[in-house]
Amino acid sequence: MIYNWKKIVRFGLPLLTLCIFIEIFAGQMLHLGQKTLIVFPIFLISIPVMNGVGGNIGSILGARLASGLHVGYINLDIKDKEMRENLIIAILMGIITYSILAILIYYIASFGGVQMDIGLIEFISVIIGAGVLLVCVISLVSVFTAFWSFKKGLDPDDIVAPVVTTIGDTLGIMLLFFFIGAVGI
Amino acid sequence: MYAKKMLKQSLPLLIFCGLGGIVAGSTLGVMTEIIQNIPGLIVVIPAIIALRGNISTAFGSRLGSAYHLGIIHSENMWNDELKQNIIGSLVLSFFISIIIGILAYVTTILLFDVHPDPFKLISIVLLAGVISAIILTMMTIVIIYIVFKRGYDPDNITGPALATFGDIVTMFSIFGSAILVEVII
Repeated sequence: MIYNWKKIVRFGLPLLTLCIFIEIFAGQMLHLGQKTLIVFPIFLISIPVMNGVGGNIGSILGARLASGLHVGYINLDIKDKEMRENLIIAILMGIITYSILAILIYYIASFGGVQMDIGLIEFISVIIGAGVLLVCVISLVSVFTAFWSFKKGLDPDDIVAPVVTTIGDTLGIMLLFFFIGAVGI
Repeated sequence: MYAKKMLKQSLPLLIFCGLGGIVAGSTLGVMTEIIQNIPGLIVVIPAIIALRGNISTAFGSRLGSAYHLGIIHSENMWNDELKQNIIGSLVLSFFISIIIGILAYVTTILLFDVHPDPFKLISIVLLAGVISAIILTMMTIVIIYIVFKRGYDPDNITGPALATFGDIVTMFSIFGSAILVEVII
């Protein structure tokens, strides 16, 4: 038999506990901004979207880099052309995805009768501003984590996804509040 | 051409996951009243979503590898290897949920001097963690079974499918557990 439940628990527990510590920090930021979120529920709706898209793009990029490193068509070099191309496409995908979803969230929320004291342009600016910055940082973290783990002889496939999603959740919420403040809501 | 191909393959999936995020977020949007009534509840949300995401994608990718290794087939899926994986995921969910509840309770007191009801908070997290674990484990098995039958590679399907449905199931579980605990206690 290959799998053993005790082994799964033993290997999973330390990394998960670490993730949870950071996620609780993200939760406390939500707690801090709870009043704004209750007054503008549209931002509450946006949080899983913000974090989900960022984490997915970081994970896709990480998986692609991992495959490239394993097969050998990507080199451990910050000037690697293939890596840079992947990085740019990831950021581009972020810009497109957040733009489409921002408009969708706004109209779905207004259609669903969510209380809205915010204009379309203001809302889109917050989501795209926070989203694009998030994707840029997450993509760089993804490249760094993939390269670092590969150099250390670890499998990037195991490492990149949890790192990127955990950092993405915390940073996504932070950036969202930052841009809500910047737009002056 | 390369960029075009990556955009074409990943972009629809990203937007689809984003739509799942909107459904999950809308659940959060209708929870505003219960969030205000139960102090500390908002703190646990990113952590439970992350717990679910990490455990179920790891479960899905292990089943994918097991399939590639020939350990499980669509004809005899229900074997001991699968059972060990299920027990491992459930035990991990149980322990991590309790850790989330305790951490949220302690940090809320330390950071905000707000005193949540520890029994209520931990019960909600534990209930939500275990319910979502059971639902998503069953969903993963069904998805993998269908993918096997059709002869696709589970590695390409389970990740995004679990990312999309995972958040929705988790939000419903938190909402349901919060109402249940609020009514009973």
